[in-house]
Amino acid sequence: MTVLIGGVLLAAGVVLFILEPVFSGRSAPLYSGDDDYDDSAARRRIALTALRDLEYDRATGKLDSNDYRQLKAELSREALSHLQRDDGAGDGGESAMERASRDLEEEIDQLRSALREGMLCPSCEHLNNVGARFCGRCGGALHAEEGRAPGVGS
Amino acid sequence: MTILGEIALWIALPVALWGAFVSFIGGQRGRSDLVLSGERTVHVVTLLLVLTSLGIIAAFVGNQYEYRYVANYSNRELDTYFKVAGLWAGQRGSLVFWTLLLSVFSSIAVYTNRRRNREFMPYVSGTLLGLLTFLLVVLLFADVNPFERLGFTPANGRGLNPQLQNYWMTIHPPTLYLGFTAFAVPFAFAVAALLTNRLDSRWIAVTRRWILLSWFFLTNGIIFGMRWAYVELGWGGYWFWDPVENASLLPWLTATAFLHSIQIQETRGMLKVWNMCLVVVTFLLTIFATFLTRSGLIDSVHTFAENLRIAYIFLGFMGGLIAFSIVLIVYRLPSLRSENHFQSFLSRESAFLFNNLLLVGVTFAVIWGTLFPLITEGFFGQKINVGPPFYNRVNIPIGLSLLALMGIGPVIAWRRASPRNLRRNFTVPLAAGAGTLGALLTLGIRHGMALATFSIAVFVMTIVVIEFWKGTTARARIAGEGAFRALASLVKRNRRRWGGYIVHAGVVVVFTGLGGAAFDARVEQDLVPGESMSLRSALGTEYRLEYESLSHSRPRVADDVRENDWRWTALLTLYRNGERAGIMRPERRIYPVMGEASTEVGIASTAFEDLYVIPKDVDLDSETDMVTFEAKALPLVPWIWYGGLIVTIGALVGMWPGGRVPVRATARRPVSRDAVPGGHRAVASTP
Repeated sequence: MTVLIGGVLLAAGVVLFILEPVFSGRSAPLYSGDDDYDDSAARRRIALTALRDLEYDRATGKLDSNDYRQLKAELSREALSHLQRDDGAGDGGESAMERASRDLEEEIDQLRSALREGMLCPSCEHLNNVGARFCGRCGGALHAEEGRAPGVGS
Repeated sequence: MTILGEIALWIALPVALWGAFVSFIGGQRGRSDLVLSGERTVHVVTLLLVLTSLGIIAAFVGNQYEYRYVANYSNRELDTYFKVAGLWAGQRGSLVFWTLLLSVFSSIAVYTNRRRNREFMPYVSGTLLGLLTFLLVVLLFADVNPFERLGFTPANGRGLNPQLQNYWMTIHPPTLYLGFTAFAVPFAFAVAALLTNRLDSRWIAVTRRWILLSWFFLTNGIIFGMRWAYVELGWGGYWFWDPVENASLLPWLTATAFLHSIQIQETRGMLKVWNMCLVVVTFLLTIFATFLTRSGLIDSVHTFAENLRIAYIFLGFMGGLIAFSIVLIVYRLPSLRSENHFQSFLSRESAFLFNNLLLVGVTFAVIWGTLFPLITEGFFGQKINVGPPFYNRVNIPIGLSLLALMGIGPVIAWRRASPRNLRRNFTVPLAAGAGTLGALLTLGIRHGMALATFSIAVFVMTIVVIEFWKGTTARARIAGEGAFRALASLVKRNRRRWGGYIVHAGVVVVFTGLGGAAFDARVEQDLVPGESMSLRSALGTEYRLEYESLSHSRPRVADDVRENDWRWTALLTLYRNGERAGIMRPERRIYPVMGEASTEVGIASTAFEDLYVIPKDVDLDSETDMVTFEAKALPLVPWIWYGGLIVTIGALVGMWPGGRVPVRATARRPVSRDAVPGGHRAVASTP
């Protein structure tokens, strides 16, 4: 008998709970609103991540300078195009995605200025310490990269 | 409690059906009240299934043998520990457990997305509830109701299969089931993305972590299963291409393929249809695994072989799912067009593509081998099983190619790689691999596959180590950080990449461990106490086992069945290279209730190899206490478990929440973008 009562109570509770929204008009949001996913912001972040990895690939000697330049131009164009679309979409608060993108930009900035300051040997592409004047591997003079690579703010 | 559980199971079916219905209608008509009702339903179904599971456990613990399921898988003598695990010991209970885990993941998905991805959610909850409805229909109407009564109450149950009476029983099945069921969530999101035609990068961003979670559980489940087979089945192996092992490997293979190809879609906007297919196929393979395990169509150590009706129901359901998925994908083909094309054969994209093709190749080979008995039965009226030789011949070469790609992929550049940077990046690793090959040849090793495995493993490991080394030094020099701090921030800034490399390192270690199987040494001998046997391992260790004595727990009265098992325990002293290295206690057990015997092997591990002792036969009649022992020296087996641990760590690094670098206070304030001086500098300044 107790079991039967328990079962009936359980069923009644369940039915009430799942039907309540229909009667009371309570509802779940159908759109995400403010924190909506923004495809172009996401793509920008991905392009920026690729750009950041590109800088690392360059710094660790995975890429030749020609390939580096070409890929950099392509990826930057991609990131920039999504930036423009993004800007047109409206403003307001900064989303998590945008924050992440900005952090990436700062990191890229840091990487590029480090590379620009001549840490990467122009002849043997060895990565030197900040402030070094001669390459630790081949002994060649550093600071030649500055004029060649289209750096930040140039 | 048990009856309440049964009532809860019956209530769950109409509730889930209602939820699936109102979710889809609510999403389609924009009725937000119905959507909320559907989402509440998900949580309610979870609650009801928790009650159902507790009901089953209560029946086990309370020795309620009037239930067929309990009577078949338990007895009074069984430890409480295994009684609780009785929930997944047989077909009926494990279907309930499966359904429970699916509902728990559904609840988590609905709860975590209560404010995000709202456009998807009606269809996500609808799809998940649809799956739950199917499983509940199976449970209630396919002769697998766990609450079915016998009509009488036996004095005792039939007991649990001895091989399941091992602590891995409480670890391996739940882990694997977690992996299988977690994949339903990515599938539901894929369906939602297709139905709503929102096929941009969002559904991938949402599901990636779920897929990684599922992959994490699958990987661990598979490795735990190997470990269980190794310690329990008593033949010194860990994998024998059993249909159910294969079934767990299949979704793992396609999920692994997806985790790689998804990166091409993210960075290059390509392979969208392929990725969609991989998600669907992986999900179908998890259902296939359930079907294979639970249907009894194919003989296996795992099957419960209870009835065929459930096999047909599962087949029909899978057919329906396949048709539904194909129609949806074809309908949305225009939205799944590629945005780019491959620029070069020598690029990371093509390395990923090869990786995918090889993984899918292994998948097909394994499916073919698994279904071969059914195919031959259908055409020739006779079941013909393909054994390990088939799988090994096909899969070892593909596996080794995959291993090599694991080294090549990360170093080769996106889009295109020039011969010069290939030379620069591959010289050292290739030299290391070739050096290993030379050294092994000098040592007299002539086993082709083993030579290939070890050389490629060293090649890949060198690449992974160099990657970490270069990344860390670059970071240290550029950011002016110390080595350790640089490594930490490197990994933190790109968890996926570096987590992935750690996983690769783990897989290399696992492969090395598997390669050790080429050098197993064994000896078999009858011993009486006082005698000893010797064995020399391939790594040069001299083992000697001295048989000291045999003790047993057999009751005086032969038909006394008060114990779960009777044990004969041999005591052996182990000498390694002449030095005493401990004692081993392998056992022979007889389970009187089941009328079955089993073996508990003795394992003595060092960092490089295991000594594995099997008491193959105990002479019960003679007074001499003679035992037939088989001893095996298994080189590198421990590396499989170490490798598994490294893979686990890598996967955890990859999916740890908070992949973003911490944001500084200034950035947290909601400011208009124009007000940030220097924002977007890096991009805006490029030509």
